[in-house]
Amino acid sequence: MTLAIQGLTKAYGGLHVVNDVRFEVPSGALVGVIGPNGAGKSTLFSLITGFLAADAGDVSFEGRSLGRASPMERARAGMVRTFQVPREFSHLTVRENLLAAAPGQSGERLIDTFFRPGRVKAEEAAIAREAAETIDFLRLAKVADVPAGRLSGGQKKLVELGRALMTGARMILLDEPFAGVNPVLIEELSVRIRELNGRGIGFLIIEHDLAALNKLVSTLHVMDRGVLIASGAPAEVLGNPRVRDAYLGGAAA
Amino acid sequence: MDAYLIAIAIITAIYVLLALGLNLQYGLTGIVNFGHVGFFCVGAYTTAILSEHGVPLVVSFPLAAVLAMAFAWPLGLVSIRLREDYFAIVSLGFSEVVRLVATSERWLTNGVQGIAGIPKLFAGWLTGPAQSYAVLGLLVAFNALAILAMLRIVRSPFGRMIEAIRDNEEAVKALGKDPAGFKIQVLVLGAALAGLAGAVYAHYIGYISPEQFLPLITFQIWMAIIMGGVGRISGALVGAGILMLFLEGSRFLRDVMPFISEVSMASVRLGVVGLALILFTMYRPQGLMGDFTRK
Repeated sequence: MTLAIQGLTKAYGGLHVVNDVRFEVPSGALVGVIGPNGAGKSTLFSLITGFLAADAGDVSFEGRSLGRASPMERARAGMVRTFQVPREFSHLTVRENLLAAAPGQSGERLIDTFFRPGRVKAEEAAIAREAAETIDFLRLAKVADVPAGRLSGGQKKLVELGRALMTGARMILLDEPFAGVNPVLIEELSVRIRELNGRGIGFLIIEHDLAALNKLVSTLHVMDRGVLIASGAPAEVLGNPRVRDAYLGGAAA
Repeated sequence: MDAYLIAIAIITAIYVLLALGLNLQYGLTGIVNFGHVGFFCVGAYTTAILSEHGVPLVVSFPLAAVLAMAFAWPLGLVSIRLREDYFAIVSLGFSEVVRLVATSERWLTNGVQGIAGIPKLFAGWLTGPAQSYAVLGLLVAFNALAILAMLRIVRSPFGRMIEAIRDNEEAVKALGKDPAGFKIQVLVLGAALAGLAGAVYAHYIGYISPEQFLPLITFQIWMAIIMGGVGRISGALVGAGILMLFLEGSRFLRDVMPFISEVSMASVRLGVVGLALILFTMYRPQGLMGDFTRK
């Protein structure tokens, strides 16, 4: 197994937003987390990626405990997240967004920028090729040199996925990748995710939109009011009365 | 009149150097530095005090920049991770601390009386207008070097990363890169430019005292980059020019408004600059040269 979530807990005041959640994401798996609004999915995501500090529990990735690591360390360990509301670098072009994500660039050190321009240039050429391939793969070629702030919501999500790919992540955590995205692009995005998964990249996807997700993932975890209420194959989980209750009850309220 | 114009050009060039530093910090990286004048002050006092003790200019000048950097580094280390508005307050506090130390530590800075008789640049070689031209030439050279360095930075992966930090710091963290390290370097670089500007200023004016380093200077530089165009190197240049045009041009307001007394004139001039800033934010928020929206 790659990613193990071990009893993560977060409370605000007396309210347990995430309560002793534990599950595992095997390497190269495609796993989804669903739940009604306010179930604690996004908080769980922030706990896994270190953007929030957990009150209890641990996260381990590829056998390494990361429960106390910073978001940067967790990303460098190979586990990279996207955001529910896209956080593109709005004034940088799509291409520059991707280039910025490439790890270990000596050109990001001032001393090398001024004194080793040759090396910086060679590295830059290599990552530029990689970025161009990623742009083609994500079908972003038409907007490659447009500032990312001008793209549609769906395209911005593709840019975030592209950045995550550029980091060389082995596990990508997508926070509501389909929210606010038009149906054509949802299909497109699903195809890309499946293809990447075929190359061995693991995905953990949080989604509110059930229809898009249950076709994509092999395992679903369902959260309600901070706790995990069901886990298993999508068809089986969606047939679970507790899940139906949580979802329909939540929708009706 | 000629001498007056050269003097204006020199002061403008000092402002350009300051504006370039602030533009790197705010325009390119998003660091809200409200204490820029603090580094300017450190640079001015460093070279003034060293000169008093007979240290030659070739040594005291670089040291002015180095000491400004040496102040910026620990400041960045302890406070750059704060949210931007909190950092703004801390940096403003820093510059006031610097000024108050310059006011109180009389053994070092001669307190409110300030330091007089700071040796002029090129003294002994040149006099009169030639000297002024030489100072201007030196400033143009400093600015040119700063601009070249800035262009190099903007086009480098480092430049791309600081702009990414300006646009979205959380996303940078999510990619495994630490914004704080980049921001500290930028803070230190901007401080070096301010320190250098302070050194030229001290030797050009020949007299420094704490009241020359009020927060007002910081906000004038802010006005310059806002009017010129935030995130643009040309914006720093043009902005410092417009600022000087308003600050100095309003001197002649009295010719058309003779009914205003000499005393109220100072306030009227500040009012003019304020009005210009309001008009700019209303009608041209991106500044004269356009903002960073497109390179």
